[in-house]
Amino acid sequence: MIFNSIRWRLQIWYGLLLLGVLAGFGITAYELQRGKQFRRTDEELRRRVNELGNALRANGPPPRERGLPPHRPPRDRFGPEAQIDDGPPMLSPEERPDPASHPPREFHLLPRQAGLFDDTETNGFYYVVWSRDGTILGHSTNAPANMPIPTKPLTNGPIPPRLRGEFREAYQVTPPGEVLLAGRLITSELDELRRTALTLSGAGGLILLVSMAGGWWLAGRAIRPIDDISAAAVKIAAGDLSQRIDLQDTSNELGRLGTVLNSTFDRLGAALEEQKQFTADAAHELRTPVSVVLTQSQTALNRERTAAEYRETVESCQRAAQRMRRLIESLLELARLDGGQEQMKRERIDLAHTAADCVKLVQPLADGRKVNIHCAVMPLNCTGDAERIGQVITNLLTNAVNYNRENGEVRVTGEARNGSAIITVADTGQGIPPGDLPHIFKRFYRVEKSRTAGRTGLGLSISKAIIDAHGGTIEVASEVGKGTIFTMRLPQA
Amino acid sequence: MRILIIEDEPDLLRALAQALREEGYAIDTATDGEDGLFKAESWEYDAVVLDIMLPKLDGWEVLRRIRKTKKTPVLMLTARDQSRDRVRGLDTGADDYVVKPFDLAELLARLRALIRRTSNQTRAAIEIGDIIIDTAARSISRAGESVALTAREYALVEYLALHRGEVITRTALYEHLFDENDSTLSNLLDVHVSNVRKKLGHEFIVTRRGHGYCIEGCT
Repeated sequence: MIFNSIRWRLQIWYGLLLLGVLAGFGITAYELQRGKQFRRTDEELRRRVNELGNALRANGPPPRERGLPPHRPPRDRFGPEAQIDDGPPMLSPEERPDPASHPPREFHLLPRQAGLFDDTETNGFYYVVWSRDGTILGHSTNAPANMPIPTKPLTNGPIPPRLRGEFREAYQVTPPGEVLLAGRLITSELDELRRTALTLSGAGGLILLVSMAGGWWLAGRAIRPIDDISAAAVKIAAGDLSQRIDLQDTSNELGRLGTVLNSTFDRLGAALEEQKQFTADAAHELRTPVSVVLTQSQTALNRERTAAEYRETVESCQRAAQRMRRLIESLLELARLDGGQEQMKRERIDLAHTAADCVKLVQPLADGRKVNIHCAVMPLNCTGDAERIGQVITNLLTNAVNYNRENGEVRVTGEARNGSAIITVADTGQGIPPGDLPHIFKRFYRVEKSRTAGRTGLGLSISKAIIDAHGGTIEVASEVGKGTIFTMRLPQA
Repeated sequence: MRILIIEDEPDLLRALAQALREEGYAIDTATDGEDGLFKAESWEYDAVVLDIMLPKLDGWEVLRRIRKTKKTPVLMLTARDQSRDRVRGLDTGADDYVVKPFDLAELLARLRALIRRTSNQTRAAIEIGDIIIDTAARSISRAGESVALTAREYALVEYLALHRGEVITRTALYEHLFDENDSTLSNLLDVHVSNVRKKLGHEFIVTRRGHGYCIEGCT
């Protein structure tokens, strides 16, 4: 449940990330502090272990040679000091004692070394020296009891000091096998480290808490527009298409998303409104012929009629039915064109030929209205569906004749320009008022706001849909009182 | 009763005019807004049937202009059935609103109701003495006996009955009983009055010489 919320997920990831960073930082700080705390103690301890080594050597040879001054090789030119830290003295092979028969030596601190190990203060340094068989050769009084003998590590090099409980101890193993150990109780340092750790974790916890609270607030702030968007979307989904997302800041990502969604809703709303209007218009267009049929038949049936009256009624019903049929055909055609179901043939056609056919078709109508049609289309190649393009030209010609004046003219011209075949149909009719021009390709739009027998108000919409399906364009220019020119462009290739 | 129909669909107009004439109304017709407005403003119609989609002037505009000068009851006849259109029609001053396709009987009933309301007559039956005029059935009975009248005669009685107590001038009667296509021979009205008197009693219609005719209560 919680993991389905972006806010919670953000919060959890943010918390984990922050925890990692804080932990890394805290551990580093702690380690640095710890290293600093121990380094000084460790130096002191190492110095003391070396002193212990000196004292062990100064205590002389094994008890067998006791009393004799220790036999030493001639000192080299670096002097005795250089030898001090060099570990055990270099004995010649014949002088080297046999480790197996090497009895334990005694151990005493040299007088100058007494100050190094404080026997009295419990917090001071202590030492323990073991012989190679594990017996204690000597120790300071403050050395803790029951101390385990450190073992020589397998690796060579300096032995790192060890931490045993609250004791820090440095030690060395001499080549004969004695173990020298200097240690110190470091309770105060450890306490300080503990305090540091506590401070660090406390501070870290506090930072984590404050950051999580801030993160929660930030996430909430960042997500609020999403809540607005989803609230608006829910209302829109419920059918209230007038709802829009309230946008305070349009510059951020969510603001842009909101803008995109709003414009999508606008387009959806407009499309839906258009569809509604189209349906209402279609119903409206069907209502009038239905009214004619109903009124005619009801009137006729009110009483006995003469045969001529019945005939008239039937004829008028037939006209209404024809009109409905035309309308339904047009509606279906538009629906097919809209749905992209109407596949346009793509064949090479000669528009001059098509135009001539159309003129022939419209000629009787033009003759009846005393309109002259001039067709001046030279052979003009184009790719498309001859039948459908012919339908468009016929529609344009019919309009041009119907809206023409008596003895008016209709001119059809054709030319190729920029890879397009251009056909124009110009008439000398009444023209279309500028206010109506942008709408004339709209469905059911009529310049004359009434039904004229035989016209569905869909002809230009269908023409445009057909030309669009060919990837062409159709445009109109008109001047009231002078005439109208329709220009259609079709791709030649 | 004289009614103007403004409708641009010729088949519908003809059928409507025929149906209404057969009901005894005098019918004038107009096929566009301008003509319709001119007629509506020039004559005292008892009702106007007005389509909305009209050439030249649409129905809204015709209604708005009629309302500037006339109180003639207007019945809007339209294919627009959205309620905002109905509200707009009624708010603009239409008295009733009928959506296409309509039932002829309903349209006729609505027209009768409209005309009745305009004459402050709320019931379909008008009683004058022992004569009962049933405006719904368009029939008249005298002392329980049904009396056969021609449509024109009935229209004359109904018009006078709806305006009873008022003196109706001959001109007004002509205007409401005959349409623009009738050759209004001056004695035609006298013939109708005389026929009604034969059927319903001589004293039923009182002649006010120099003024006109009147039913009941005029002095």
